[in-house]
This record gives sequence, C-alpha cells and structure tokens, in this order.
Amino acid sequence: MNDRLVNDRVVLDNVSRFYGEVLGVNRVTLSVPPGITSLVGPNGSGKTTLMNLMTGLVRPTRGEIRVLGISPADPERMFRVCGYATQFDSFPRGMTGFQFIYSYLRLFGKPHDECQRTTAFAIGRVNLGDAAHRKIAGYSKGMRQRIKLAQAIAHDPRVLVLDEPLNGLDPLVRAETIALFREFAAEGRHVIVSSHILHEVDTISDQVILLSNGYVVAEGKIHGVREEMREHPMQVIIRCTRANVLASRVFEQDHVVEVRLHADGGGLLVKTRDADRFYRALNHLALDGVGIESVAPADDNVNSLYEYLIGGEESTR
Amino acid sequence: MNQTMLRQWLTQIGLVIRLEMRKTFLSRRGLWVYLLALAPVLIFLAHSVSELNSRKERRALNDAHPVSTAALRSIDRGMTIEEVAGKVGEPFAKNEFHRPRISVDIYQYTDGENIYTFQFRNNQLVDINERDRDTIAKDSVIFAGVFQFFYLRLAIFFGCVGVFTNLFRGEMLDKSLHFYLLTPIRREILTVGKYLAGLIATVAIFCTSTLLQLVALSLHFTGSEISEYLAGPGWGHVAWYLGVTAAACLGYGSIFLACGLLFKNPIIPAATVLVWEGANMFLPAALKKVSVIFYLQSLSPVVAPPDANLPRFQRLLITSAEPTPAAWAVLGLLTLTILVLAVAARKARTLEINYSTD
Repeated sequence: MNDRLVNDRVVLDNVSRFYGEVLGVNRVTLSVPPGITSLVGPNGSGKTTLMNLMTGLVRPTRGEIRVLGISPADPERMFRVCGYATQFDSFPRGMTGFQFIYSYLRLFGKPHDECQRTTAFAIGRVNLGDAAHRKIAGYSKGMRQRIKLAQAIAHDPRVLVLDEPLNGLDPLVRAETIALFREFAAEGRHVIVSSHILHEVDTISDQVILLSNGYVVAEGKIHGVREEMREHPMQVIIRCTRANVLASRVFEQDHVVEVRLHADGGGLLVKTRDADRFYRALNHLALDGVGIESVAPADDNVNSLYEYLIGGEESTR
Repeated sequence: MNQTMLRQWLTQIGLVIRLEMRKTFLSRRGLWVYLLALAPVLIFLAHSVSELNSRKERRALNDAHPVSTAALRSIDRGMTIEEVAGKVGEPFAKNEFHRPRISVDIYQYTDGENIYTFQFRNNQLVDINERDRDTIAKDSVIFAGVFQFFYLRLAIFFGCVGVFTNLFRGEMLDKSLHFYLLTPIRREILTVGKYLAGLIATVAIFCTSTLLQLVALSLHFTGSEISEYLAGPGWGHVAWYLGVTAAACLGYGSIFLACGLLFKNPIIPAATVLVWEGANMFLPAALKKVSVIFYLQSLSPVVAPPDANLPRFQRLLITSAEPTPAAWAVLGLLTLTILVLAVAARKARTLEINYSTD
C-alpha cells in the first residue's frame, strides 16, 4: 500500500490483543477509508478493544496500527488529528461542561481566547449551549453523551472515533447527531462509530466492519459484503399483478433457488444467487401483462448481514 | 528537543498542575490530609494553653504565698521544717504522711515561675525538686521528637500516600484518567505535571502546618524569650524544619506516585515502605541509607532522643549511623526522587486504560 493511501487511512495490520488468556481481538487487518464506518457486533465481540487500540488507550499484543500514518503510541501527534468519545460515562469531578471542554483544549497548547471560542463552538454544535455552565454531574445521560461528543470534536479532528455515540439520545438529538456525522464525513474525514442499533448503522454507514468473538467477519460496503455471501442467496420482494405467472418465469432462471408466493397473491419473494443477473432478467420476465408495483431487496442490510454472519449470538434491536 | 517543544511541554505541565490543584486542594476527599497535617498544631496549641494556665496559676499562688527565687534557692538539704519555714514562709501546698518511726512532709513553693518541692523525712530536708517551667531549649527537643517520630514518619508519610497514589490510581478508580490520555500530551510530561501538582499541594499543606506548629509551640513564651531564640538558632531551625518538610514531600511523593502507577492496590507497597522506614533505627548503617527517613533525620536541626519508654531490649537493637552531611542528604534525596520518577514515567508511557480490571 503506498504512503499516500496509508496517510489517508486508519490501518490495522495483523493486530491482536489478548488480556491474559482472554482474547480481545485477533489478527485484525483493516484499512479504513474516510467516511462513516460502523463497527458492528454483539457484546464482547471486540468493538471497544478495536477503538481503544486505534487511539492508544490499549497497546496491541501483536501487529501494527497507523492512524493517518501516525502510531497511536505517539499521542503528541496522534491526538492532534484524532478525537475519541469513549463509552466511559465518567468525568473529572466538579467540572461544568464548559470547563471540561475548555481545560481539555488548553492541553493542546491553544491560547485562552481561542479555547474559549472553540469550546463555545463545540458545545453549540451538540446543542448544549444552555447547559454549558452547569456541573456535568447534574447532566442527563443524553447530555453526557453530547458533552463527550463535543470533547471529541472540539479540536476539529480528521478522525473521529465514537463508541456507542447514539446511546441514550432522544430521537430528535439522535437525528441531529447523525447529521453531524454526515457533515464530518462529507468533509472527507473519518467517522468510526460502534453501534448495536442496526437500522441506524444501515442508514448512516458508508461501510461496516462486522466483528464476532474478536475476529473481523466481514468489512466493506453493506451491499458489497452481502453480495460476497454466496451461501446465503439474496432475497428480493416483488409486489406485482399475476404473481403466479411471474413466479413460474422467475423459477426458470438457473440462479434462482427459491420462489414463494405471498399469501395475498399480490407478490412474491425470490431467493437468488446472483442479484445483478436477476435484476437484469426481471425486465424481460415482467413483460406480457405482469404489472410490477415494487421491487426491493429483503436482506441487503446490516441486520441480515449480522444475522447470517454472527447468527443468533445476540438478538438485535 | 527544540525551544518550541520545550515551551509546549512547560505550558502543558503548568496546565496539568492547574487542573490537578483544583482536584487536590479543594476536594472533600482530601479533608483528612488537612486534619492529619493539623493534628500536631492542635497538640502544641493545647500544650501552650496548658503552660499559660499553669503559669497564671503559679503567679496567683506566689501572690498568695510570696517568696523570692533567691530565698528558695538558699534552702539546703539537712534543714528542718522550722528553718525552711523561717526562710521562705508557709508553702502553698503541704502534705504529710506518717508511718511508725517515719514521718514524711512535702512542702511546695513557687516563685511564680518554677515549682519547688521540698521533701522532709523525720523533720529533715532530704530532697529538693525544682520543676522548671518550659524553656525554648526544652521545647525544641520535644518539637524535634514530635517532628521526627510523628510528623515525618506518620503525618507526612500518610498524607503523601493519600495525595500521590491518587494522582493516577484515584483517576483510574473514578474512570476519568482517559481524558488526559486523549490529549496530545506525552505521558512523561503528564507524570511530571501530576507529580509537581501533588508536590505543591503537599508542600503547601505540610509546610504551613510546620510553621503553625512552631507558632503554636511558642505561644506560651514571652516576646523577649522568642526574640532571643530567633536571634540565636531560631530562624535557622525554622528554615531547616520547613526544608525537611518539603524534602519529605519530595521523597515520599515520588515513591507513592510510582506506587499508584505500578500497583493496583498501592496500600500494600505503602505499608511495606512504612515498615521499612519505621524499622530504620534498627537497621545496619549501610541499610539505613536506603530510606527517606535517614536523610530527613540527617537534615533535621535538632537531634531527637529515642523514645524514653522504649523497652530495654529494643533499645539494644538501635544502631547509630553517622548523619549524612546536609549536601549529601539533599543530593541523596534528589537522586532517589529522580530515579523513582523515571521508573514511574516509564510505566506511564505504556499505561493502558482497562478500568474493569483496575
């Protein structure tokens, strides 16, 4: 991989981390491009360990990590380009939200006036302006999540690592926060989030990394990953008229493995090993009076990937 | 290392100190350190108040039974009760004990300052006891004992355990240490910043206490006595005691900062250090020098006598080593501090955040 590419990516090369006998992550090799990347996996799958490794809070037992070409063992350079909102719900004692962000920024060596300005801006971005001068100890769970986010973005990092950032947020704030992630990603930055909430991951992610028991089981764009899973045929739902006619024609295709008519007779579920060929063929098959109302993939999402790859290890929300 | 980098490190150290001072100085958790530091002040204050009351009482007794110092000093052994009473009058307190063939009479007089006790056996003076009022020389030996055996070994020791082990370990328990580790600050700089914050806090608390102890102890002396003392060795003693207090914070601080970084439960190594420092007086001369207390005692301006109540067997075990010259003692402490801090900084460099196991 050339230097320019490495300097633009978060790269993990054969990284393992063991806690004594316990496996954290094992032989993880990733090259995360800019955009929103979601780490998905059940509890204990290694999401937080991976984030802590990326930010130097834990050291790899084996392997090498580079964040935009910088080693996490070099915090002086690393945290000028990287912001991390951890899952730890604890803060330095006795501080207001403003003092917390301000003192954090001062450690970057920025002058007082700039820190004041930047603190106010970061707090404004997470809509906590009204509560900025209240003690964090009195904040709600959602406010604490937001002040952590403000701390992560305050120094305008190029890589944003966020551990379960949407936990505890109400729907409105959740939407605003997702919009903020998109804004960051649109500027060509990295936003790496971990989440359990699969439908949100589906909505916000440019790419996903699926983890199970410390191993990366899949990575890439959701659609691309889904297509790679040959042992699980793609499912397509078609709502149409004369569904039985379409069903018989569809079944003649060699890549179609199963067709099920909907109980109301107004549509069918098709399972195919080659979705692209199926979509191309559908234009011809749907002639002769078959009126197609809608065609939609039924399992081309993170939820299905999660189910197929990780199985019933943990129920999804 | 260029100048910009050095300036940035110094700025960061300053900022860490400011953040830590807020936590160390004004936290409810640190209240016991203040109480520990102030305990000897209260003891010396109580001593002074008691001395002032005694002196007032003696003066009142002297007014009621006037007698001069010269007259009291002229009394010699072998005199009879009548001869004594003829010279110095009636005592303010008189006790009699009669047994077959023996009668004991005890007469007490005061010249307003000291108390003189005369013991007569069968009407003959056999013993004269002059209980002097406290003098600065006497009290400075008492102060040296309290300073070396309580203040240095216990108050400053445990105060430093509380302040310095918490600089890292306390934040791990609070789960807030990671906020420092998410900033562009070298872990070594963070260690130095935290150490200096702890040092400033403990030096301020314990040096203030040392000063207050000396003030409290001097309250029952007259202005002229204090002026005389200060004109002599007084100011030197004050400066040395403050210096030794600061040196104790310096040495113990580095050890307990390292304990907080190296051990999940720093109380166990702290207890080990306590035993080692406590056993210092019984150690061979060479081993004595591998401790903080040896250097601190070498720097102390007044030698404290060993505890008079120590059992004879333990007294036999006490070994003496030539005190180290002040310059060597300071150098020894500084070397120890720097070495221990280097170990701590090395540990901080590879410090991981794993709160669930900490």
